Amino acid sequence: MEFEWNQQQKDFRATVRDFLATHLPDNWESIAHGPGSASQSDFSRQFCAQLADAGLLVPHWPERWGGRNADAWSAFILAEEMWAAGEPRGGQYMNVNWIGPTLMRYGTPAQQNRYIPPMAQGQTLWCQGFSEPEAGSDLASLRTKAERQGDHYCINGQKIWTSYAGEAETCFLLARTGAGKNGISIFLVPMDTLGITVVEIPSLIGEGDIHEVFFENVMVPASAMLGEEGQAWDIVRTALSLERVGIPRFALASRMLHRAVGTLKQHNRFHQGAVEQSARAQAACEAARLFSYEIIDQRQKGITAGPEASVARVATVNAERLVAEFVVEHLPESLAGGDPLLLAHHQRGIVAGIASGAAEIQLNLIATQLLQLPREPR
Amino acid sequence: MDFAPNSDQITLNSALDKLASKFASTPTEFRGFALVNPELAQELELGGFFDAAQIPELGPVSAAMMVERLARLPYTAEVALSMLVKAQLDRDWPRPLAVIENGRPGRFVAEAATLIILDGDKVGVISPARDAVESVDSLFAYPMGRLKKPLQYNPLPDAEAANIRKWLRIALAAEAAGLLQAALDAVTEHLTIRKQFGRPLGSFQAIHHRMAECTVLARGVRLLAIKAAWTGDAGDAAIAALHAQESAARVVYDLHQFVGAMGMTLEFPLHLWTYRLKALLSELSGRGGQAQAVAEHCFQ
Repeated sequence: MEFEWNQQQKDFRATVRDFLATHLPDNWESIAHGPGSASQSDFSRQFCAQLADAGLLVPHWPERWGGRNADAWSAFILAEEMWAAGEPRGGQYMNVNWIGPTLMRYGTPAQQNRYIPPMAQGQTLWCQGFSEPEAGSDLASLRTKAERQGDHYCINGQKIWTSYAGEAETCFLLARTGAGKNGISIFLVPMDTLGITVVEIPSLIGEGDIHEVFFENVMVPASAMLGEEGQAWDIVRTALSLERVGIPRFALASRMLHRAVGTLKQHNRFHQGAVEQSARAQAACEAARLFSYEIIDQRQKGITAGPEASVARVATVNAERLVAEFVVEHLPESLAGGDPLLLAHHQRGIVAGIASGAAEIQLNLIATQLLQLPREPR
Repeated sequence: MDFAPNSDQITLNSALDKLASKFASTPTEFRGFALVNPELAQELELGGFFDAAQIPELGPVSAAMMVERLARLPYTAEVALSMLVKAQLDRDWPRPLAVIENGRPGRFVAEAATLIILDGDKVGVISPARDAVESVDSLFAYPMGRLKKPLQYNPLPDAEAANIRKWLRIALAAEAAGLLQAALDAVTEHLTIRKQFGRPLGSFQAIHHRMAECTVLARGVRLLAIKAAWTGDAGDAAIAALHAQESAARVVYDLHQFVGAMGMTLEFPLHLWTYRLKALLSELSGRGGQAQAVAEHCFQ
């Protein structure tokens, strides 16, 4: 076992940090608070284009799609540095992490040629049409329906808590084409298609972030389907497995913890209670970091992540929470006109255990798949 | 970064597994607290395992892995300090080693050939006379001992003392990682077999979630301990020991809850791991002490 970065990895991290130091504006931290906001989305289009020009947007993608086949470690180092900086890619991180790779694997040539190049150029934003009012963690019970009508599908239904929908050009939409888990299909739907209405939901987690999306007789060509009819469950399961360690939340959490401790020390407020709580949070961040690295090490070796990815996710949620609780208790001004990045961290932490599937689902997976405990009867 | 053991470590681990398999079962008639078999330490000695960490291809990471593996056994022996701390002392002090912390009883103190004295901020190392120490009965599932009277020692220079404290933290974390895993394994088996309300206890979601959380903690302790052994960094050592003690407190409570009344008896050997974990909880100034060390080394 080794816990040291090689020279190439150190150099790559330094390159990413240099890029961030050069390209993030002085007021970056004050606009980082609304990942789905118009201002953040506008900024991310400009920033991601610059990243693409520097070869730092999709380095782990194949050359054919604008990458250079960089390894899993490079992709994760890039993700760590971006997230620690407050994620200046905004919602485009999803393109880089899983939407692009999913299209490369399952898309038709026409879909790939239409959608992947704008992603590789940093010019497009997607939203994921997954959750519905009656289908949150129980995603398989979704009701949005896609009915075949000749060479088109007619989509009716409602999505909710959809991030980035207000600014996205395209939706990665799950809709029902039959019964049960195997009756769900994926459609790649331009958001300006007639019949789509987006309504922002005021939220705790930042300006413009979550939405209701209504589909009323939305006609899409059959060629908008990704993969086969009824294949959504398999495709999404693969895609979301990338997301369990897709966001290195521990990186920003750890950075914000150090910043908060620094502020407290500066004002002689780092007393015993704060020492103990911050140390626990630091340990949780480091545990989450190692679990994530363990998964990346497996990915690098071509091993498909098993329930260990759920362990990494749960540890990350825990770390995020401990840091957020520490800041709220010892530096409450962060939520009242204080440091904007501490506020942004708090807001992003709110979704840590909920987005990409509730953390409790991950606990079930750990219990049944890793510990092999008997399943709960249904 | 590489989370897989190298070929030398795989060979060593495989040899250790073979040795450990002889000590893997709890004797059915055992109803005591500390389960000891002197042959365990003898076989480790004969096999050269205590010196393995000095081989460059193996190093302290291998020692931490061995300590973790051996801590999973129902039998206990003084392993952690011999494998992870002894090499840090100023000369070749004889094993077994034990720690006397602020005059309190400690693990393996009665049979130790070398005592590390933690006395407030001071650290010293001595060879105790046989009649200077005595055994003491205890709930802790280690052989516990104490000094009959305070011993004289020469305090080590600060840097040496800090280094010893650092490796004591790594040793504690590595041992805790094995204890946590063994306790989890024992309870997982129980939850699969034991039925209540017509189905295995382990099928209830209330238990799934808590067992999963305990698993996340235990695995985290292992990774942090091994990483600290790799880096030899004081901050990493403090983080590993803090996470070990934090996790021990939570996991021990949960696991005893899941075993219920059976876990109160000495027939079900859960106490062999949980009461060892309880012994580790207070060591090196406990969680407060580790937190201070984390703050000192990680938040500069």
